[in-house]
Amino acid sequence: MTPSGRARPSIAWAYLAPILVLMAVFTYWPFIHTLYLSFVSWNLNPGQPTKWVGLANYEGVAGSPLFAAAARNTLIYIAAGIPLKVLLPIPLAVAVWSFGAGGHVYRTILFLPTLLSFVVVAVAWSWLLSPLGGYMQQFLGLFGLGMPNLLADPDWAIWVVLGLSSWKILGFNMLLYLAGLASINRHYIEAMRLDGAGDWAVLRHLIWPLLTPTTFFVLVSTVVFTIQQVFTPIDVMTQGGPSNATTNLFYMVYQYTFLTFNVGYGAAGTVLLFVLLLFVTLVKVGLLDRHVQYKQ
Amino acid sequence: MELTRPWKVIGHALLTLASLAVLVPMALVVLAAFKPHNEIFSSVPWPQNPTWGNFVALFRDMPFGQYLWNTAGTTVLRVGGQIVIAILTAYGFARWQFRGRDVAFALVLGAMMIPHQLTMIPIYIMMGNLGWFDSWTALIVPNLAMPFAVFLLRQHFLAFPPELYDAAEMDGAGHWRALWLVVVPNLGPALSALVVVLFIDCWNEYFWPLLVTDSDHARTLQVGIRQYLQEEMADAYGPLMAGVTLVSLPALAVFFAFQRRVMDTFVSSGLKG
Repeated sequence: MTPSGRARPSIAWAYLAPILVLMAVFTYWPFIHTLYLSFVSWNLNPGQPTKWVGLANYEGVAGSPLFAAAARNTLIYIAAGIPLKVLLPIPLAVAVWSFGAGGHVYRTILFLPTLLSFVVVAVAWSWLLSPLGGYMQQFLGLFGLGMPNLLADPDWAIWVVLGLSSWKILGFNMLLYLAGLASINRHYIEAMRLDGAGDWAVLRHLIWPLLTPTTFFVLVSTVVFTIQQVFTPIDVMTQGGPSNATTNLFYMVYQYTFLTFNVGYGAAGTVLLFVLLLFVTLVKVGLLDRHVQYKQ
Repeated sequence: MELTRPWKVIGHALLTLASLAVLVPMALVVLAAFKPHNEIFSSVPWPQNPTWGNFVALFRDMPFGQYLWNTAGTTVLRVGGQIVIAILTAYGFARWQFRGRDVAFALVLGAMMIPHQLTMIPIYIMMGNLGWFDSWTALIVPNLAMPFAVFLLRQHFLAFPPELYDAAEMDGAGHWRALWLVVVPNLGPALSALVVVLFIDCWNEYFWPLLVTDSDHARTLQVGIRQYLQEEMADAYGPLMAGVTLVSLPALAVFFAFQRRVMDTFVSSGLKG
């Protein structure tokens, strides 16, 4: 029998073997393979040979109108989402927090959309907003108003997708803020109160500054969410259209690879997306470390 | 923190508005699920003659039962696999000191930086080469490694007093039996919350099943519902709303069974459905 903490390393490696094998096969190798594919021309047909084209795929993607639209939309999804996804949850969280146990009902209700799949949310809103007898149309009809076809309008469609993804993530982000608020030392608040500070002073000069790290964390994790998860409502509701008005970088990769079978472009787009995500994720990991330390 | 009256009123007003924004659309959908066909285009939000007809239509007009079976089966197998593998890994990291441990841990955490959107093309090709396309295997196996679960469990394992391991081994239990008879039973609520989060994540997944399934043989609920929307849309609002209601029930049910801890685990997971 071995004393605690010491063992023949082979035992420990045996425990780690399953995940290391899985990650080698399904994470690290495919990642390298993607890099390779970004330098070749191929149409996803196994019978078809690949052809080395160097940087041509990157040039092709960067110069394409689809990429221009996808990059612009990705920026809109991120930047325009900030007020609803990152800022609105702050007053909501502060209110829930100030109500103590009385705020739990709100917390649970606002968390519900997190539990629903994006497909469910997108299908439900497709019906609510449909100009073909959807509920909003019936409702507006009561007042003699018509329902415009928002998803077919290039100026409107992206805002619908944005609104729906905000609806979905709002409660989750509020929960992140609640975790930040829970770590605030109550003595600070009492001390300010004793000095005669009113509610606004406490919120403005104590709560808000102490929430800053959480706010950054929410911002960064929301950016990751927006880049990765908005795929589903785009695919369900608009397939990137009308005329590329709602596509984003991730959806662009999907379009290139699986709809037009231009694997090289898809892989090059993936690498560009990775660089973007890596940057954001590194910021996030740095913040996560601090976030955890704040909690302890 | 106790707020004064005007702030309280503003707080309640804001939260009530936000809650309504969440609940009203959800209620409209659930109510529509019970509307008979001739009421679906009515502005009255609730059904005047409630019916189960839409739910029946769902199983009649599309292979909803098959999708349900595929989703439930692959979810159970996948989450089971994810949990077992995460437990083994976390135990290996937390229990022993050995050369190369930090490198291995960095590799596991590093995988968190490579979301599977970035690896989908080669894995898709791999599924074809292995003959796994359109099968449960393709839905399960590539997704078994969950670094965040390892991370979470390892923290719980590290909090374990090492004497507990020694005591178990003194009683003649090897490291394998110590894990399953002493350590795992003591994880309790942390483990159940993790299972719930993984369950919801898998149940709600859309992108990967969309890529690797192309027939009813392995297609899951989320993909099936989406396809139904594309094919039927206005002709099937009732069954569609019945579908999204049904699909959402399991995730909501497990959530309400384990509420608070699930929210905490969700927050630390980085998974957002």
